Amino acid sequence: MSAAALSSAGRSAPPARRRTISPRLWKGALGLLGVVALWQASIPLVGVPEYFYPSPAGVARAAWRLVETGILPSYIGDSLVRYAAGVALGVTLGVGLGVLIGISARASRLLSPIISFFFAIVEVAWIPLFVLWWGYGFKVILIALTYIVFFPVLYNTILGVRTVPQVLINAALSLGATRWQLIQEVTLPAALPSIFTGLRLGAGFAFRGLIFSEMIAAKSGVGYLIFEGASNQQTDRTIVGMIVMGLLWLFIERVYIRPLEALTVDRWGLATRAEDRE
Amino acid sequence: MSASTFRARALRIDLTGAIPFILLLIAWRTAPSASGMPEYMLPTISAVWDKAVELIGNGQLPRNILDSLGRLFFAFLIGNALAIPIGIAIALNRHASDVLRPVLTFLQSIAGVAWVPLAVIWFGIGMGSIVFVIANTIFFSTLYNTITGVEGIPKVLHRAVRSHGGHGWQLYRELILPGAFVNILLGLRIAMARGWHALVGAEMIAGTSGLGYMTMEAVQWYQSQTIVLGMLCIGCLWLAMDRCIFRPIERRTVVRWGMLRP
Repeated sequence: MSAAALSSAGRSAPPARRRTISPRLWKGALGLLGVVALWQASIPLVGVPEYFYPSPAGVARAAWRLVETGILPSYIGDSLVRYAAGVALGVTLGVGLGVLIGISARASRLLSPIISFFFAIVEVAWIPLFVLWWGYGFKVILIALTYIVFFPVLYNTILGVRTVPQVLINAALSLGATRWQLIQEVTLPAALPSIFTGLRLGAGFAFRGLIFSEMIAAKSGVGYLIFEGASNQQTDRTIVGMIVMGLLWLFIERVYIRPLEALTVDRWGLATRAEDRE
Repeated sequence: MSASTFRARALRIDLTGAIPFILLLIAWRTAPSASGMPEYMLPTISAVWDKAVELIGNGQLPRNILDSLGRLFFAFLIGNALAIPIGIAIALNRHASDVLRPVLTFLQSIAGVAWVPLAVIWFGIGMGSIVFVIANTIFFSTLYNTITGVEGIPKVLHRAVRSHGGHGWQLYRELILPGAFVNILLGLRIAMARGWHALVGAEMIAGTSGLGYMTMEAVQWYQSQTIVLGMLCIGCLWLAMDRCIFRPIERRTVVRWGMLRP
């Protein structure tokens, strides 16, 4: 899959546009307010029961009740813990194996075919088997998220390691670097921008995977909130869950992922965008 | 280097890649009995094969596959038919883009399976709600790629077309559609991949048929043969779609035009 094109959210605006950021922000806020206003205004016009088409006011009330009772904060906490654990495990495995496959032709020949095979069986398809093996709960979610994060990180790590300029490797070797020092001092730093591209992709997929696996295999969390609300005809809760999901992802993206990318890719100017990999 | 060395090397490469598969098959064959894992948790290979023969024989597997593919096809048509024109319109209109961008970014971040519960309330369980969710997923994926594609067309080309008297429909035919084509085409492949994930997920949560439904339903009856069969079908179908539809299209268009490395 073409990994560069897979990154869904917009790249940060070029610096030249920064001057015009405030009218854009203002217009954007107008758009958001407009949608909420239209939604509220459409309630009497549509004239269907609240559970079928909840109003913004109803959703706000439901959100407040969920916060007041402490349900929402604890659900968000549960979701974030699962997410962080899954992403961390997936990144660790992906970078580790990626470096191994990237530097060793033998490992690449040995492992590439089977990795492609598992890549084709998407994580969604594993969930029923995982549920059968381990029942509903944290383990299934953790393994599903690890599985999702693993592949984009792995493929981008391999790409990053393979595109380290040979000059740098030769320089380090001629200065007497050992194999381990070479990885530590040259390979990993040079591959870092590519690894972050993988992390960014994986983090995006994993967030959706988190919500999905919580719908199927959890008794708490934002995904569970979305699912549970609808099955109890508390649709306002479902919509609270969806809004929280959107905000949570935008928060993670802006606060953690973009700065990481800016730190490495932009500052070092080393960016090697992931091309078509399979 | 002689030809025979080449052949030996080619042979060795093939065998090296096959080792993990052989180990996997051996582990699959021996692990259940060795670790005392009951058969309902990990089926034998022959049990999966028997199940495949049974489900093809009684028509269940073909029917579920056709149901899944039909939904994906419908949703792909609907989602893209909406996303491409709307994407072009948004990209060409600065004000619309500014006003709608945050709304779309937000909706994009929740696009996908998160809509399943709400869709079930609106459209009932089954075909309608699943097509809605997949079309929603595909819409936002394609929309973003269309906008990126149109906005990526250099401004100087706009001016060139206009200064040669191009306007209205000509502008679209001569500049915007060809200019955004690569991005849209690459976007379609990604949209299909996302749609496929979302389809399987949505069928697991709210399906009454389809591959996702078949696989998840089997959990309740401890039918691990059906689960493994479903997984293999999901993986193989996706590979087949990607290799047989999108790869050739890309090879014949963007790669041939030198816009993307093969």
